[in-house]
Amino acid sequence: MIHSIVEYGIPLVILTMVTGGFAFLRRRGRWSMALTGLFLIIAVGMGILAFLSGYDFVEFGIFRINGFSSMLLSFFAIALLLVLVLAKDEEEPGLFNMLFCLIASGAFFVVLSYSLLSLMMAIELISAATALMILKGGKKRIEPAVKLFVISTVAISVFVFAVAMIMPYDLGFAIAPLQMNTGLTGSSLIMLAAALFIVALAVEAGLFPFNIWMADVYQGAQGHVTALLSGVNKKIAFIAILYIFFVVFAGYTKILSPLFELIAILTMFFGNLVAMVQKDVKRMLAYSSISQAGYILIGIAVGTTLGLDASLFQIIAHTFMTIGAFGIVMWLGSRGINTVEDYKGLFQRNGFVGVAFALLLLSMAGVPPLMGFVGKFLLFSSAISSGLIALAAIGIINSFISIYYYGKVIVSMADRTEKGRLHADYGVIFVTAVCLLVILVVGIYPQPLISILSKSVMSVF
Amino acid sequence: MIFFVAIMLALFAGILAVILLDKRFARGAAALFASVALAIIIIMFFYYLTGRMVGYSESIPYISTFGISLQFYANEFSVPLSLLAGIVGLAAIIGGNPLQERAKASNSLILLFELAAIGLFASGNLFLFFIFWDVGIIAVFFMISCLGEGNNLNSAKVYLFYSLLASALLLFGILMIYFYTPIRSFNISTIEAGAQTIPLGVQEVIFVSLLIAFMIKMPVFPFHSWMQGAYSDASTQGSMLIGGVLSKFGAYGILLIFLMLPIARTYAPYILIIAIVSAFYAAFNGIRKDDLKRMAAFTSMAESAIILTGVTALGAFGLDGAMYGMVAFGLGISLMFLSIGSVEFMYGSKHLSTLRGIVKGAASTAYSFLFGVFAATGVPITAAFIADLLIFTGADKSFGVLGVVPLFSIIIVGAYLYYAINKSFFDTENSIEIVRYETGHWNPSYALLIFSILALGIVPALILGFR
Repeated sequence: MIHSIVEYGIPLVILTMVTGGFAFLRRRGRWSMALTGLFLIIAVGMGILAFLSGYDFVEFGIFRINGFSSMLLSFFAIALLLVLVLAKDEEEPGLFNMLFCLIASGAFFVVLSYSLLSLMMAIELISAATALMILKGGKKRIEPAVKLFVISTVAISVFVFAVAMIMPYDLGFAIAPLQMNTGLTGSSLIMLAAALFIVALAVEAGLFPFNIWMADVYQGAQGHVTALLSGVNKKIAFIAILYIFFVVFAGYTKILSPLFELIAILTMFFGNLVAMVQKDVKRMLAYSSISQAGYILIGIAVGTTLGLDASLFQIIAHTFMTIGAFGIVMWLGSRGINTVEDYKGLFQRNGFVGVAFALLLLSMAGVPPLMGFVGKFLLFSSAISSGLIALAAIGIINSFISIYYYGKVIVSMADRTEKGRLHADYGVIFVTAVCLLVILVVGIYPQPLISILSKSVMSVF
Repeated sequence: MIFFVAIMLALFAGILAVILLDKRFARGAAALFASVALAIIIIMFFYYLTGRMVGYSESIPYISTFGISLQFYANEFSVPLSLLAGIVGLAAIIGGNPLQERAKASNSLILLFELAAIGLFASGNLFLFFIFWDVGIIAVFFMISCLGEGNNLNSAKVYLFYSLLASALLLFGILMIYFYTPIRSFNISTIEAGAQTIPLGVQEVIFVSLLIAFMIKMPVFPFHSWMQGAYSDASTQGSMLIGGVLSKFGAYGILLIFLMLPIARTYAPYILIIAIVSAFYAAFNGIRKDDLKRMAAFTSMAESAIILTGVTALGAFGLDGAMYGMVAFGLGISLMFLSIGSVEFMYGSKHLSTLRGIVKGAASTAYSFLFGVFAATGVPITAAFIADLLIFTGADKSFGVLGVVPLFSIIIVGAYLYYAINKSFFDTENSIEIVRYETGHWNPSYALLIFSILALGIVPALILGFR
């Protein structure tokens, strides 16, 4: 019974979301958004069901349902739900809902994918829909949308090229370890393919030096779109990286590790150092989100199971932190509060939002007992346990640098110049409260999540 | 018996009560729960004194992947230091915020800080130590940035920057210890047993990073720049807790390094020299200060240097002395800050150049300040006397005459403090008028602190009985 629910239910949900998006275009937008929310809730339930029952099977040669993918399915469905709540005041709900459905189904496709081709299609689906989503909402957004569109198109072609390169060694296109022909071990062709994969995914994941588009796009897009970009799109790219480099290139982890190390270090420094000089909070958070991508990459560079756990933990942690933070930034931006200077006195103007924002920022900076700290702790300890002490030290230095700009915002909020009170609408309060609750509870008692993650990682790698 | 868990639950319940109840009940609720916590600490204290808690520990599984559990030890360090945190916290809640401005924030932050302090002093593993360390730092950060006055935002920035530099170094050191001890463990006693096997080069790296982290927090000479601003711009309660308890985080940390890492002992003479420099630096810097809070801040820094002397001396005398010093100086300095805060509240100024004849308008505050100065300079029958005696006996044993040098910094500190008292507090000829007549509840706090100082000064066995 449960097996058939999972077996037919999950593809059905995804299919409905793809077609449903089109069906509801321009028709009673809010209701269709609510319907999308319902489907996401069903997806959460299915994911939990599949995780608990511990199935592991492949469907149609493109879906793989196991502990890992079902855990991520529910997680991303929750993240998408939060974004959907943030988007409730969207001006063009029908259009938004259609694009949102496409992105959501693309995300589920990536998470569940068992084939390089379906992975590619899903990433293409996401990036096309994302470019349209950024475009929506005014002429001044044309520039970031075109930027993203061009870059992601190039990225997809690079991805296709990389797939073509490994095709001779893996005709099935399955996300399964490459057949290691003795003559091919460490061959330059494989290395080139791996490098191209990194380039293709680095664009979406925001890794140095393929992240120049990011700050403009994040700042230019509407608040909830930014939350979606940073909370879902980027994390999906990381899941794709995990699939490709820990499953397909499983035999080459050792050789690829220094490359990831280098990219991690450069990404962290780039994000943090540029964030230090930003005056606009949204742009600052965009750069901070780049630096967080660098931290996540530490675990991938380490390449052990512990490193994977740590990366996944940080992916989840940063998703909640970033959705909460961008939600607040979006709401404040709609009231004309954008720069660090404008944030003065936020603690007085709205106590709950002020404290929540401060805690979210502190969590990003890695201060215990918040969730961001546990993620960084796992990352740095995975690095040290594999002997990458310099990498851990650089990570710690970076998380110290980040204090400068997070602290600047928090101190500015503590200013006591009298200004009028601000009343937040319930959507922002709800999303902030959920994110805050997650980072506090998991930060104080992380063991359950760590167990779930290591169990799910066991199921695939 | 679950003493530490009970204390923390009481404090946590206090935080919830302060946040959830109406503003009017904030101080009452906070004082109630802090008193409950203090009562449990005192019960534990007497259990310990009577020798019924040898080897007592509490352990709750926490992150089993890393073998981390919530471990709290009752030992000769954790019990007295918890007592210090409990007393200072309660005194700050009762007397520190006369008008109860931002009552919810101030009271809940004190309780949070107290929770962090007790957790840190009692924690049996370095992971918990780190977590409570950062919680304490952040609580104090908000006391400076949100509740402070004057140039508080800038001070808060500097404070946060230094403190998180310390915690970054601390995290690095802790992770290095964890992965280089033979049985990977955060447990302090396990590390003590297995630290000899850590390679010397790695030990040096760990030692330096931890030492700098703790020196920032104490604060000791080259890393003290955050101190003046943080002490003087924090709220009165914030200053009490920074001077009385937060600076002891660092002192306790250095004590832990000396207990854990064998290599620390070979560097003891160098650290003694840092302590000497720091003591005289603080003493000479205090002379020029017009701001009473800054003066007290430098007094606290000189005392930190003296505690550091005791720690480096090691041996029974040195460690006992350092232990006693932390409690005694902590109580004394928080009494000083509390009375300075009251003076500032009543007279609207904390500057020596304007204050005259305070004893006429506010006798209890003036005499409390005087008593705080006694406690800081180690006048007999105050607790600090015993601490100085033990520390310098120990230092003389370990280092010879050089060890006794920091003692002379106390004379300088005493000289300017008594000068300040003479001029501003007891010169009744041309006394200035009180600006604000509302009374705070500071008298009970004075009484609590003075009583503790006298009790520990007259009956040293209260703390030395632990050995």
